[in-house]
Amino acid sequence: MHIVVCVKAVPASTEVKMDPVTNTIVRDGGASVVNPFDATALEVALSLAEERRRAGEQCRVSVLSMGIPATEALLRDCLARGADGALLLSDRAFAGADTLATTYALSCGIAHLAKQWGEPDLVLCGKMAVDGDTAQIGPELAATLGATCATDVREVLTCGAGAVAVRAAVDGGTAALELPLPAVLTLAREAAQLRMPSIAGVRAAAEMPVEVLGAAAVGADTARTGLAGSPTQVVRSFVPESQHESVAVDGTPAEQALRLVEIIEGVA
Amino acid sequence: MAGLVIDAERCIGCKRCERACATVGIEVVDRLARPTEGCVLCGACVDACPVGAISLVRDGAAQSDLGAYHDIWVFAQVDRDGYLMPVARELTAKAHELAAARGCEVVALVAEGEFADDAAAHELIACGADRVLRAHDERFALVDPELLASWVCALARARRPEIVLFGATPLGRELAPRVAAELKTGLTADCTALSIDSETGLLHQTRPAFGGNLMATIMCPVHRPQMATVRPGVFAAPELDSSRTGAIEEAPLDADVQPRVRTLAFERATSSSSIAQAKRLVVVGRGIGSKKNLPLMERLAELLGAQIGCTRPLVEAGWLDYAHQVGQTGVAVAPELLVSIGVSGAIQHLAGISGAGTVIAVNEDAQAPIFGAAQYRVVGDAVEVAEELVAALEARGSAGTPPSASSAC
Amino acid sequence: MARDNAQALIHTFDAEFEDYARDESRSRGWAESISFPTDEDEVRAVLRALAAEGVPVTVQGARTGLAAGAVPAGGHIMNLSRMNRYLGLRKDGEGRFYLRVQPGVVLLDLRKHLSARDIPASGWDVASRAALDAFAQAPVQMFPTDPTEASACLGGMAACNASGARSYRYGAMRGHVSGLRLVLADGDVLALRRGEARACGRALTLTTEGGRTIAVELPSYRMPACKNASGYYVADVMDAIDLIIGSDGTLGVITELELELMPAPAVTWGVSCFLTEERQALDATCALRERLSCASAIEYFDHAALEILRAQRASGAAFASLVEPPEGAGCCLFVELECASEDEAMAELSLVGEVLAAVGGSERDTWVARTDTDREALTFFRHAVPESVNMLIDERRRTDSAITKLGSDMAVPNERLHEVVALYRATLAEAGLEAAAWGHIGDNHLHVNVLPRDAADYAAGKELFARWAREVAAMGGAVSAEHGVGKLKRDFLKTMYGEGALCEMARVKRAFDPAGMFGRGNLFDESLLEGGA
Repeated sequence: MHIVVCVKAVPASTEVKMDPVTNTIVRDGGASVVNPFDATALEVALSLAEERRRAGEQCRVSVLSMGIPATEALLRDCLARGADGALLLSDRAFAGADTLATTYALSCGIAHLAKQWGEPDLVLCGKMAVDGDTAQIGPELAATLGATCATDVREVLTCGAGAVAVRAAVDGGTAALELPLPAVLTLAREAAQLRMPSIAGVRAAAEMPVEVLGAAAVGADTARTGLAGSPTQVVRSFVPESQHESVAVDGTPAEQALRLVEIIEGVA
Repeated sequence: MAGLVIDAERCIGCKRCERACATVGIEVVDRLARPTEGCVLCGACVDACPVGAISLVRDGAAQSDLGAYHDIWVFAQVDRDGYLMPVARELTAKAHELAAARGCEVVALVAEGEFADDAAAHELIACGADRVLRAHDERFALVDPELLASWVCALARARRPEIVLFGATPLGRELAPRVAAELKTGLTADCTALSIDSETGLLHQTRPAFGGNLMATIMCPVHRPQMATVRPGVFAAPELDSSRTGAIEEAPLDADVQPRVRTLAFERATSSSSIAQAKRLVVVGRGIGSKKNLPLMERLAELLGAQIGCTRPLVEAGWLDYAHQVGQTGVAVAPELLVSIGVSGAIQHLAGISGAGTVIAVNEDAQAPIFGAAQYRVVGDAVEVAEELVAALEARGSAGTPPSASSAC
Repeated sequence: MARDNAQALIHTFDAEFEDYARDESRSRGWAESISFPTDEDEVRAVLRALAAEGVPVTVQGARTGLAAGAVPAGGHIMNLSRMNRYLGLRKDGEGRFYLRVQPGVVLLDLRKHLSARDIPASGWDVASRAALDAFAQAPVQMFPTDPTEASACLGGMAACNASGARSYRYGAMRGHVSGLRLVLADGDVLALRRGEARACGRALTLTTEGGRTIAVELPSYRMPACKNASGYYVADVMDAIDLIIGSDGTLGVITELELELMPAPAVTWGVSCFLTEERQALDATCALRERLSCASAIEYFDHAALEILRAQRASGAAFASLVEPPEGAGCCLFVELECASEDEAMAELSLVGEVLAAVGGSERDTWVARTDTDREALTFFRHAVPESVNMLIDERRRTDSAITKLGSDMAVPNERLHEVVALYRATLAEAGLEAAAWGHIGDNHLHVNVLPRDAADYAAGKELFARWAREVAAMGGAVSAEHGVGKLKRDFLKTMYGEGALCEMARVKRAFDPAGMFGRGNLFDESLLEGGA
């Protein structure tokens, strides 16, 4: 079985502040981390692989990311935790990608991995990325790969014999779904908690290669990647008003209560 | 040449771009900004530049036949019991408003089981649809995003809508990206505002990112259709106008399409769950005075559709169970709305509510640290304010209740 | 005028203030009045008013202490939690930063400001503001003292000479305080700066700001050669400041502290090592102490502690997100590495692996926390241990209210580690008591917690602790290594140093506080204070 886990590097802090003098956004260009939802996907992959290996099956977990060169360190950390290999798609031609262009690049990466390790049976993603919050990559990948798909998966019930069964959030509740492989799953945080690496894992990962490839190396058409391949454009971004001010609600208790009702309705 | 272009004549080397960048993707050397290998072309620096020296230059290919696309489509979702979901009404009404600005028709798409009647279609017309495309098919008796995507894509390819809107429900959040990928077009998730740009006629889609810390307005200029999802409850529910008329057209699903995913079981969501997952929370502290005021707070929580949490002293005093304790040593919570009543805001407590969206704090002490974590501060007697709030909510009837359980998922 | 002011600050102690009658030790006291001064002048005004009436004072901060030092024994409670401002910053010639704070500043808050390199500076003078500019440019600074309860306040931490896991490397709070101000019972102030007032042998002479001379003959006892927070700190030619730190609120009210900061390490990795036998953990501890050069903490959790954690994890919402200890883990050794580079950390990590192999463990049965998420998970894991034991005891209290947790806080010199653990195990087995042990094994300082099932267990546990105090004292150890003596461990202090030493300590107290106003019941029995100055 071949499991591909798609991970994204996101800023360690998603806090956005406004510079009060210049009225522009200030972001801490600091550390990045593996998107927490993707960390869950990695754990699900690692546990499934362990289970399949115990059942005597060969199993490989490949980690795939598109990102800046510094993302390599995060992929190495995934290796320390038990992934078998890592591929980083890094190229100026990938920059500025929206979800469609990202999906295309990832699908090229998956095709590259498939040449070495066979077509993936499962592609696992986080339910969403904490910096973009779009939750689109998983279903877009499924459509692109022609795979079945389950989103917001809370639990993987069984896996094997050409199908995977999951419990996923659906309208009105949760459903147990059976998906023929290959399948794309997007994982909710509650599905698992990523294990920590062991000393042995950290030491082994230090010696393992992280494959870093550009657009040409994975056969990507650069008209479909990055900014050029992105149908959507950000016209402007801004910090919402309410979050950097504390508003006093004055008046008599009755007046305060009426104002609170308005505020509460605004939140809904 | 596509990418980040810096006008050396304009750049003053002020480094605001550096500070706005989350990926160390731009640096100022010798008073001139330049992109580094960390640049992901996100455009944050473009907005931050005070002198307009930075721009994103694109050279992507445009679709050649943009003019052939027209009308605004709404995917109108029905729930498990066959009823039109509120978000479908909200979107149809919004589409009606956008169509007026754009000068086009509103088309609602509804896929139902084989025994469905005309109720949903009529309702959609009453909400503002000019035309309803529908399929009554046994394959739609169970919700299957893959089948629905195939249906929507086939219709879109044949009829070329300019805009397609989906509810950001669990189904919509899977269906819309599938459709976008197949049609190779853009999609903006979870929009909180939609408008038609008066100059270009393009759809402006505004959405939160970074957990709501940042808002972005997005458009899709040279690909069609322009697609967006919208969370339930974001747009107002319309008044139904039963005098409106519209066409109802059968649009059958391709006979060759067969479901691949099997639903083995379905479990309906129950309303009571842990405070960690609660979308709304009422958190009470020592300031509510005595245990006898607890029922009042519980009533308030009920009216708000909220769970109840409390501070550590209340648990220690035995007023509420440990499962209700919010804070570093209790449960960390991240509701969209947190109404904090009579909580002074010990550090341990504040650490546990840092993930909350909107915080309303009620406390007698104007200096209470809880106000530092609140967007709205109410200085006053906790019990008095709570009593008035309960009265106001009761007077409002159901207006204060949150979106239905299904859409809150 | 001042008198009226003071009266406005002093509130009658009624039900509204009930929380202030107790602290984290879960013992409860009583009081007649309470005040929440916001600056030193208010402290002085209140003290003068109280002195005139002869009302004793218990000083409180965040009430997170475990020895009941902040629990009032009648009289007045002076709560300093509203004295929580940052007062100023200076930078010395060697680039070190010194931060002046009021005693009510909470550690968590301090840490937040240090890591953000942004300290609230309203009202600061020009020199402090200049230092703050330098601070904002300098590498991130830290204050190394890290008691488990990060909501402790710095005044309380100074009063009990707090330590924590990282004191393995950095020692206790005492070494990181470079100056303080102490308001005495009559409202006079003693301003101390490290290096400026030393004892001559064991004779210490100090002059207050009001011009009064305090001459103290320091006690003659010798302190143990291990981590210690038992009684007054005394040594030949000692710095006066070191006497105040750890004095358990018995000498005066600390109204200002100057903290010495240090650069935060570039790389911090936490390593949890799971072993099957306690013996392996003890051997590994000794080997790690010898071989590692970057360890900042070596902590231990025994089998019972892990089991309680497992049970709480399975049952409670609050602990559901805990990482589960690996199956078959008998105990856990936690090592924190603070290194200048990743390469150095990697080398140290390999050494940990070698030590584990040497004691029969495996480097596979380890968790290495290198990301914030993982570090938080390990911190949560470590902090969940005492928390879940408290929950277990709370449950048992429901059936028998006489039960409380019995937690030991004793340390011994390095060479006695195996011996003291053998003592704990043998005597617990003999008494048939349930217990869980965890803590700062790098400092040979384990918190052995007896978990009484009924009143008989509780009594047996207390008896056992008295025996341990004797044996630990005989090993050259300390009866309280970090929590302080407070009101709960007075008897142990007597066991450790003897009756005579207590009389000498009482003499010190009388020199500072002739009327015995402060911290009644802390360190020694009030009877020792009678007989005047």
